[in-house]
Order: sequence, then C-alpha cells, then structure tokens
Amino acid sequence: MKISIQHLTKIFPSRTKGDKAVHAVEDMNIEIPSGKLVGLLGPSGCGKSTTLFMLSGLESPTSGKIMFDDQDVTTLSAEKRGVGLVFQNYALYPHMTVEQNIRFPLDNMRIKKEEGNARALDAARLVQIEDLMARKPNELSGGQQQRVAIARALVKMPNVLLLDEPLSNLDARLRLQTREEIKRIQRTTGITTVFVTHDQEEAMSICDTMVVMKLGIVQQIGAPQDIYDDPNNLFVANFLGTPPINIFKGKISGGKVYIGGEAIGETKYEDRDVYVGIRPEGYIYHEDGAFTLQLDHIEVMGRDKSVVSTHEASTKPTVRSIIDSDVPLPRDATELKFNIKPNKLFLFDAETEERLR
Amino acid sequence: MAHEFNLLSQILTVFPQNAVIICCVLGVIAVLMAATIILLYLKKRPKKEPGSVGFFGRIKNNVKEKCAAVKDVFKKKPKEEYAYAGPELTKGEKFRRGLKSQSGWLFVAPALILMAVFTFYPIIAALVNSFKQGYNSMTGSFNGWGFDNFVRVLKGDTGTGGADFVQCLINTLVLTFISVPLSTLLALLISVALNSIKRIQKAYQTILFLPYLTNALALGAVFATFFQIIGTANNTESVGIVNNVLGWFGVAPVDWVGLTSPHWEIGRLSIPWAKYIVTIIYEIWSGLPFKILILFSAMQSINKQYYDAAKVDGASRWTVLWKITAPMIMPQISYLLVTGIMGGMKQYSAVVGIFGVTMGQDYDMGTMVGYLYNYIELGQMGYAFAGSLILFIIIMIITWINNKVTKKRTTYR
Repeated sequence: MKISIQHLTKIFPSRTKGDKAVHAVEDMNIEIPSGKLVGLLGPSGCGKSTTLFMLSGLESPTSGKIMFDDQDVTTLSAEKRGVGLVFQNYALYPHMTVEQNIRFPLDNMRIKKEEGNARALDAARLVQIEDLMARKPNELSGGQQQRVAIARALVKMPNVLLLDEPLSNLDARLRLQTREEIKRIQRTTGITTVFVTHDQEEAMSICDTMVVMKLGIVQQIGAPQDIYDDPNNLFVANFLGTPPINIFKGKISGGKVYIGGEAIGETKYEDRDVYVGIRPEGYIYHEDGAFTLQLDHIEVMGRDKSVVSTHEASTKPTVRSIIDSDVPLPRDATELKFNIKPNKLFLFDAETEERLR
Repeated sequence: MAHEFNLLSQILTVFPQNAVIICCVLGVIAVLMAATIILLYLKKRPKKEPGSVGFFGRIKNNVKEKCAAVKDVFKKKPKEEYAYAGPELTKGEKFRRGLKSQSGWLFVAPALILMAVFTFYPIIAALVNSFKQGYNSMTGSFNGWGFDNFVRVLKGDTGTGGADFVQCLINTLVLTFISVPLSTLLALLISVALNSIKRIQKAYQTILFLPYLTNALALGAVFATFFQIIGTANNTESVGIVNNVLGWFGVAPVDWVGLTSPHWEIGRLSIPWAKYIVTIIYEIWSGLPFKILILFSAMQSINKQYYDAAKVDGASRWTVLWKITAPMIMPQISYLLVTGIMGGMKQYSAVVGIFGVTMGQDYDMGTMVGYLYNYIELGQMGYAFAGSLILFIIIMIITWINNKVTKKRTTYR
C-alpha cells in the first residue's frame, strides 16, 4: 500500500500559561511507495514518533492529510486503518500467553478459532517463535518479546507495518541480528513498513528510503547512500556516518577553500565564510599534502587505521580520519599531511548551515 | 452509642484478673530486659575517641548487623562464619554477649506485649472456656468439660431467648456473598468510567469517597428512614422515600425494615428478604468508596501503551475492560475480594444501624458478630466463646478457598 503524507502538522497545545505550544511535526510531505521499508530518523524530540502515531491513528493531526493508496485516512480511527504497530516497549499483555497475545487482534476481528490458530501459527513461524507459544511474556528474553510483538502486528495481515524504535531495547549483538530479521520479514511479506529510530547506522543499514527529521521539520528524504553522499545541510551531514564527519571553520577565497592558512580544495562559489565538512574516509595521506593535522594517536582496527588528530579550526576536539591499513604512516610524526578527496568534501554556508550546491 | 459503651463495660468486667497478672509479669520482664540491655550498652561505652560512633551509632550498627545476619540465614550461609574467634572470654563477658545477642527481643517487645494481652490471651481463653459447660464468667465456675456449648449453639437451644446461630450464619453468608462481589463489580465499572473522563474527575473522586468518611451507625439510621413505612392512617399515606418512588410505578408500600416486614419461613429459620435487600444495598453503597479508591489508583498505574496497542488491534471497550484492564488489576481485585469477604463475615454495625439493637425482629437479621455480642450481653459467655470459635474456623476456610481461587487468576506484574 502506498502512503502519502501531505502537509502533515501536529501542534501540542501548551499545558500551562506562558508555555509555548510544541510544534511536533511541521508541514511534512512524504510519498512512500508500496512495499518499501522507510525509516524516520532524527534525534529525540524531532517528531518522528508523533508522525508514526499519526500514521497509526493514535494521534490525530492538527492539519494535513494522510492517504493510504487513494483513501484519505486522516480522520479514520486506529482500528479501521488496518495497520500493525510495534511499540518501543512491545506492550505485550503480561497476563496472556504468547499465543493469546498474537491471537488478540484476530479475536477482535471475530475470526473463527481454527483459522485464527492457523494464522497465529503462521505469524509465529515467520518470526521463529512457534516453540514459545505457551509462555508468558515475562518468561521471554527481550529479543523474543520483540518477535512476539512483531508477530502480533503481522497476524492481522496489515496494509502498513509501523515500528516505533523497534531495536532500542535490545543489546548490541541482538540489535544487529534483529534488524536483519526485520528486513527479511519485510521482504517476505512485502508490507509497506515505516520505522522510527534515532540510530543512523540502523536506519542506513536496512532502509530503502530514509527521512531525516529535526525539530519537526523534514531535512532530507532519499536513499541512505544518496543522503550520505549528498547531504542537504550541516545537520544531516553531521547526523549520518560513523565515525561522524569532521567539521572545520573555513572560508572561500578566490575559488579556493581555506582551512586555517591552507588551501585544501577548489570551488566555484564566491567568497564567504563556510563550514567545511570532510568525511573520515576523505583523507589521502601524502607527504606534500595540502592539509596539515596535528597527530594525536593512531588506532589500528585491522582493516584500516583510524588516525586521531587535532586541528585548531575543527568544531570538535578531535579529528578522526580513516586510512587504509596498507598505507604506511610515519611513526613518531607530530604532523601528518593529507590531500582531500573532492567528493568527500562538503561546504556549508556559515550562517544558514545549508549546503552550497 | 450507649449500647456500645454498655458492651465495653461488660467486656471489662468479665476480663478476668489473671489476665491483669500476666500483663504485669510480662511488663515487668520487658522493663527489666530493656534496663539490663541499656545498662550493658552504657557500661561498655568507651572514652570518646576520634572515629567512635557513640551510643546511638552502636545501636544502629547493631541493628545493621542483625539485619545482615537475618539475611544470611535466609541465604543459608554456613553458621561457622559467625563462630567467635577472638581471645577467650571471661564469664561476665560471655553472659553480656549472650544477652546482647538476644537484644532483638527488645525491639519487638512492645508489639509482642500488646498482642499477648489483647490477642493471644483472649484466643486461648476463648478456646479453653468454650469447652466448659455452664460457664459463669463472674465466678469462673463450671459444671465440667465437653462439647455441650457447641451442640447447643448449633441447635439454637440456648434457652435464653437470644439470637439463633444458624440464622445468624445464613444471614451473614447471604449478605456477604451477594454484597461483596456486587460492590466490587460496581466499583470496577465506576472506576473505569471515572478513568475515562477527563473533566471534573477530581470532583467525582471526592464525591464518591464521601461515604467512607461517614459514621456507619448514622448511615444506618438514614437508610432506615429511607425505607420506612409508617402506615396509611386516614387514607393519608406517609411512607419513606423508597416506598414513595416505588409508588409511582404502582408498587404497594413494602415494610422494608419494620415489624411487618415480609419474610419466608423455613423450619425454625426465617428469610427476611426485604431486610436483606435493604442491608445489601447499604453494604454495596458503603463499600464502594474504598474499592473505587483502590481500583481507580490501580488503573491509573497501567501503562497507557497497552490501551494504544488494544486500540490499534481493534479491541472494543468491553474487550479492553475484561481482557486487559481487569486482568491487569487482578491483584487489587483479589485483595478487595479477600478483605471484603473477611469484613463481611464480621459485619455488625450496619445491621445495628438499620434495625436497632435487636437486629430486626427477634434477631432475624442477626450476624455472627452480632450473635457474639448478644450472648456477651446476656452473660452467656460459653455460647459466645463457642460461637466465636466456629466463626473463626468458617472465616479461615473461606479465606483459604478465596486465596486458592484468586491466586490462580492473578498475574503479578
């Protein structure tokens, strides 16, 4: 099912006098093609969960429209939208067994017992928990509870599957495993899926399309790689990538990009103050390189080396660059010189923080 | 109220002298114990040194130590760890240490003494005296041991014109097992309603809680007035508000609480159904506030996400109530059922409030506790003792069943 969000806005009125009303989501426009996995990404408080709850029907928008295919569902109540929702804390009913939990939506739809049992078992098989049907949720591990929650959302064969921070309650190893699982389930079922996360790595690894949000405003929409390679503004560039992008204060002068006194690249834009962003993988070690960093230490990670250094123009205390481990680096050096790959260098206006394009 | 004072003075008169003696002995022992232990602490008190914890500090440490020791006992640590391993002790030191290790008794002594005097002694005395035939509480004389009291109590053959035990038992069971489940159910529904309104929720909460603050006897008097029938003199009907309202629907006035109240006769028992209705309504209504308070606060602590999840899954309000809300607050519901039934078995003031000291006509609305008071008042302590033991056993059995049943259906979060 295709989802289209048009001019969606949600304003929470102020609780007490003098408080400002909170604009949780402002003028959001997204087209989600059928059968895709879409991630809403942003720091906490950016309105991504609010958006999800508006899609589910638990929150009603202040203005704007939500369309499922050609049907306007903006005012439709949650149970009539046919969405499956997985909560951050799973919200499994503690007094019901796994089977009863999964069957719960079917019982509400008044589906016959045999058919209901079969469907519940199918859903359980899909998430591989068919052996745990008789247990109570508190007898399951976090990962298993997560699967039950997904099975409960899938069992009614929803048009849209919504996941609210599905991985945040899992430990690191399980998180990797589960996110592949979610991708697999989404591929098998072909259900249009929207999921919310604050973890950019998670979003980049499984999303078909990613929506980056900040303070209720959509910053950029696109495939993860496209956004990474071509960020709209400083926030997006900063938010994506591990290790994060290095930002320097610099300026453009005479068609050249300067950080400190060094010209590190060329540009077609006119003279102004800028933020220069360089991805960690954008450094090429060269004895006569254009850009000088004060070496702090080198971390060896096997596949490559992580060079931790400092620079007076950097906005963060350290500058991290990733160098291929084959490249010999001089020991005992206090300074290292690099050339910068032009496609890993982004320029942002110092005032608007928008990308110079 | 005079009635209750009267009862109190009677209880005090029959309270035998040996209890007072036991009281005194226990009290003296406790005081001596306390004095010795405090003296020991004081005597051992060293000169103030830097880093010394002082008198209260040492008491505190001792308590901590005791707590840790108790914990270790529960963890089943081997006892050897606590064996004394220091230099050999003098006799006096050994004695002091032995005494000190018993200082925990000091802390439980106040409660223990009170319970011994007002709980343990009466229970044992009741148990023993219930087997004395023809027991005279004033002189302490009796004709011999046996089950005579129990037989007479159960047969209703007390020869004093007092209340009938079986009648009282049936009244109590009927009133309890109708009013407690009904009022719990009603409280559940009201709490759900209260939970789902946003405006003036606090005001409703306060209003619903008001009956809890009102005196039971006063409420009973008001209820009696509500259900009053005075009669039809000179073709002028002068009846209570309930009969008035029923009159609008063409129902003839019923004597709900008076001497001509309708009832069914079964053998030597009577089933005063009209009085039952009045009492059950009273019990339900007066039991509501506390139940609502408990259930409502339990509901407010349920995570809102469960309701969101249920909404997305298309659950109706009815399904949400019975499949989610009720099971989630099952611990509180079972608590209310258990305490409600126990309280119901001990009800007395409601019946006295509505029907007066004689608890209806010839004690036909008597309750079990009413039965006990009745025979204390008549000076027939033997029957009162026997009745109280039977009541004790019945309450124990009911509570046991209750626990079995509710535990099965309760998932603690």
